[in-house]
Amino acid sequence: MSPVLELKNVTKRFRRGGLLSSHSVEAVKDVSFDVAPNGPEIFTIIGESGSGKSTLARMILGIHAPTSGELLLGGRSVAGLVRSDRTAFMGEVQPIFQNPFEAFNPLKQMDRYLFLTAERFGGATAGKDAEAAADEALRQVGLTLAEIRGRFPHEMSGGQLQRVAIARALIAKPRLIVADEPVSMVDASLRMAIVNLFGKLRDDLGLSIVYITHDLATAYYISDRLVIMQRGCVVEAGDARTVLAAPSHPYSKTLRDAVLTPDSIGLFRSSFTKSQ
Amino acid sequence: MSQTPVLHVDNLQAHFRSRYFGVNREVRAVDGITFDVFPNEIYGLAGESSSGKTTLIKTIAGLLKPPLEMVGGVARFSFLPGYDALARAPADEVLAIRWSKLSYIMQGSMNVLNPLRRVGNSFEDFAWRHLGGSRADFAAHAARHLARVDLDATVLRAYPHELSGGMRQRVTIALATICKPEFIIADEPTTALDVVVQKNVLGMIRQIQQEMGSSVLFVTHDMGVHAALTDRLGIMYAGRLVEEAPTARLFAMPLHPYSQHLIGSLPRIGQTGPRKSLEGAPPSLANPPPGCRFHPRCPLAMDICRITVPAMVTQAPGHRVACHAVNGGTA
Repeated sequence: MSPVLELKNVTKRFRRGGLLSSHSVEAVKDVSFDVAPNGPEIFTIIGESGSGKSTLARMILGIHAPTSGELLLGGRSVAGLVRSDRTAFMGEVQPIFQNPFEAFNPLKQMDRYLFLTAERFGGATAGKDAEAAADEALRQVGLTLAEIRGRFPHEMSGGQLQRVAIARALIAKPRLIVADEPVSMVDASLRMAIVNLFGKLRDDLGLSIVYITHDLATAYYISDRLVIMQRGCVVEAGDARTVLAAPSHPYSKTLRDAVLTPDSIGLFRSSFTKSQ
Repeated sequence: MSQTPVLHVDNLQAHFRSRYFGVNREVRAVDGITFDVFPNEIYGLAGESSSGKTTLIKTIAGLLKPPLEMVGGVARFSFLPGYDALARAPADEVLAIRWSKLSYIMQGSMNVLNPLRRVGNSFEDFAWRHLGGSRADFAAHAARHLARVDLDATVLRAYPHELSGGMRQRVTIALATICKPEFIIADEPTTALDVVVQKNVLGMIRQIQQEMGSSVLFVTHDMGVHAALTDRLGIMYAGRLVEEAPTARLFAMPLHPYSQHLIGSLPRIGQTGPRKSLEGAPPSLANPPPGCRFHPRCPLAMDICRITVPAMVTQAPGHRVACHAVNGGTA
């Protein structure tokens, strides 16, 4: 079984500055990995802000072309797709964005997004087909079309909106979902529902998910394999639980030690009471 | 604790009110909150978005703008004892204590610092009025104070865009503490930072708080941050305080079902068991459920929860909880 997604020595350079003072910034440097080589998985990319993880996501989605190197989706190169192939590609790779309140047009009813996706990628021609496809996808995320129909984004909570965003992505029947910080804007009591939903999509639908985050705890909880990025480079890669339980690169150790958990009670106070 | 509190909040109510075309709409964002903050402690407030945390802070800080109105209750500072709340005090008295006694660390550091003025000018704008002295003395004082947050004096000459997010957040902490205020309000000061920087900034807030002996009201939805930083912790749900206890005790034995969920659902590195999520969504404050506002999602909901608002009952010294199921016959 060939991997769903392969990255081969991918580099992305951005040119900064004007005509006379231009210099380039390497956002992603020589990154290689493959996603889902042996069946569906949740593949996590961890890194601080500015580490190039969102640039990587945009390249996987085909929004940016890599400066050098190659991205292969199901063995086919993502670069240089002609129009018809590009539509097929967009159907196979679907995004979920960080902030569900910004991802949807506030003046547009939520069900319109679902019907449009069904018409474009789901092959629905009649309204009835589009409704059936939307309802099926919504049921997979624990909602129904009756709850969504005619509602505007402001009428729904962040968790519900993010689930609609996932349902929209599912209508296209993708092989890969790229989720860029999908839970950081979702309420604390609903966050685990979204994370658990990703696990369910992998197990029940055989979807692979590229999960981009800086939250090590949810990465440990849900992902199968991960890479840790720092300043555009992959510094550590491997099985999620092995890497996070015993990180070997100094940067991964720093990251892991900086995670605050319910067990870190009085972390900053202790240093003071000693000196008192 | 028998000390006098720095901040005494009693049955505070702040509502968003609008009247258009004869239709009155009222959103009860803060609905009867009572707590005290004592000298030299960090009091944490936890709650998810739209639980009224920010409205509570605005009301305490006296930053009320229509349609937000303070409807009733008390939010009294020990350094301004004559008035029930900042919003009820005359403007000149508020101006005298603002920033010198009461300061504010905000979430978006980029929004605090004027992008067109150098950091040093921002310091002058905020604090010179309170500290006085010559301009050179003030600049030297600002440079010494910046050293406390590990920043170089050259930062004073820089524009905000030249600094990284973590440096800017440290500048806002220095800015908020330069007048040695008695009370600091921190509204999600580290949410936009990544974990490594966040840990540094939190350590700095604790260090400065202890050097000056100030009190801090620290608001965030991140329970890990609360565990690491705060001394006492209050949990808010839909505009009301549902539980309050010393932080270590609250994490060790949360009593309210909502607090139990918040703490129990946190994934931890090293634990692989499945984590459950609550059913349903947080209620709309424009039309909250009657009785206990948590009852539609509560696993322990009883008939009384749908009718009567549970009172805060002290279960142990310093540990208060508002829940019919926990407080049992006492309610």
